[in-house]
Amino acid sequence: MNATFKGNGNMTRHHITRRTFLTGAGMLGIGGLVAARLPGAGLAHAASGPQPLHHRIPGTDHALPAVGLGSWITFNVGNDPVLLKNCTDVMAAFFAAGGAMIDSSPMYGSSQATIGHGLAELGIDREQVFATDKVWTSDEDGGPEQIDESARRWGIRQFNLLQVHNMLDWENQLPLLQDMKAAGALGYTGITTSHGRRHDLLGIIMEREAIDFIQVTYNPLDRAVEDRILPMARERNIAVIINRPFRGGRLTKALRGQPMPGLAADYGAQSWAQLILKYIVSHPAVTCAIPATTRVDHVRENMAAITPMPDADKVLLPEGKERHAIARAIEAAL
Amino acid sequence: MTAWWDYSLADFLLFSPRVYYRLFENMNTTWGLVVASALLAGVIAFYLALRHGLRGNRIIPVLLALVWAWSGYGFLWQYYLPINWAVSYLLPGFVLQVVLFVIFAVRPLPLCFGWRGDFSSYVGLALVAFALIVYPFIGLIEGRGLIQAELFGSAADPTVLGTLGFVLLSRGTWRWVLLPVPLAWCVISAGTLWVMDQKVAVVMLVALWMTVFCGWLDFRNGVTRRRLETAEID
Repeated sequence: MNATFKGNGNMTRHHITRRTFLTGAGMLGIGGLVAARLPGAGLAHAASGPQPLHHRIPGTDHALPAVGLGSWITFNVGNDPVLLKNCTDVMAAFFAAGGAMIDSSPMYGSSQATIGHGLAELGIDREQVFATDKVWTSDEDGGPEQIDESARRWGIRQFNLLQVHNMLDWENQLPLLQDMKAAGALGYTGITTSHGRRHDLLGIIMEREAIDFIQVTYNPLDRAVEDRILPMARERNIAVIINRPFRGGRLTKALRGQPMPGLAADYGAQSWAQLILKYIVSHPAVTCAIPATTRVDHVRENMAAITPMPDADKVLLPEGKERHAIARAIEAAL
Repeated sequence: MTAWWDYSLADFLLFSPRVYYRLFENMNTTWGLVVASALLAGVIAFYLALRHGLRGNRIIPVLLALVWAWSGYGFLWQYYLPINWAVSYLLPGFVLQVVLFVIFAVRPLPLCFGWRGDFSSYVGLALVAFALIVYPFIGLIEGRGLIQAELFGSAADPTVLGTLGFVLLSRGTWRWVLLPVPLAWCVISAGTLWVMDQKVAVVMLVALWMTVFCGWLDFRNGVTRRRLETAEID
């Protein structure tokens, strides 16, 4: 897959070979996690191992791995050194598996600082990260200061994508982001919602405004966006980020211990989490899902859901009626 | 326009139970001596309240001011604030509570702490004893180690529960001004714990309800209006 993300957040249109931090998740032993820049690791080329499925950002030549990393709750660990190390380990495994997009928000407590800590500890090249954050303020003039503070916490100069969090004061904040993009200080703009809320307003903004991304909740149980939002995103060339793919962990917890349906094997899904992610990212409008986790084995499992098996050349994903069958199987298992 | 009232309580749960209870572990291990001293201050205050002494009426508010100051600075500011930006809005409440206790410690007619043998006294006694002795062990039920124990004087919840008990064990016309901050904390903490699926949330709500109920009983029975001097004899 050819694509990369420029560190200054101003997306270039030419292809550059995607860089990876390590050549694959397999290079990490049990608990063996990257804690420092490895010589030459940042220049290792993707061809050296199976690479995760990428989805093109509509209207551009760039693509993103179809699974990113959320930070809601999981990365809000304050100054706890043990938990900071744990989050850094999760990030290391994420990048090692070919991940790129990390999503956060000023609302998420210390999550931004945790990400900044992890990036610094790991010595990750800026170009390996698709830095995604949000502006979240009802202060008409508070956006720029908040964005500067967010960038400082991440330890970066500019973001690849900034979204208006939960559409809060979007009338003032979205133009700010659009101006930043026009000035070359931002790669992409977007808006977010979650829990299926305010889709009417979301649809209006999608119709009226020039935005590159939306972020919505979508999983086999929460499918409200299928009716209007996702088709509209396809029609308007808007990339779609999916939050709460596991309903904040409650869905996978509820499915724990339940036998996997036979159709899971058809797509190489070895866990409920993988089956859910395959269901989500197989929707033609979806660009990527951003599950959040505190566990290294879970982030590897998530990335493996979109990485071809060693003996395969592509990721097996359901289509059409097969997707409906997965949703029905999950509903039946609950 | 999307606004703040579009959010639900769950939207403001910023952290996991694991991170929340690690706060107490870090606090207990880093500030062990101070945490133990704050707990001891609570035990001394409890002893003085039961002794029904004139000096205790001055010392107890001072001790409570100290533990509220420490809980506000040590727990809220140092540990809770980094994972919960909403704490910045709660800290002034702790400052107010400290100021109120100091005022009660120095005013000419202090609060009168002591056992009265009525229902409110029983509830006050139970709340203080629960906060000092039982609450630290509640985590064991949920499978957490004692290193994460929430101790009176440092952790906010048992400090608030104990304070409600001390107020119920006191007499004085203005004692009710000591209740709004702890009661508000009960609501906020219960909501936080509830969203985290922590059953102990019920304890905060029961304490709140019992305190309000006892306050109503005391008001009806005229406990607050009785002359303080009659209870100040050692």
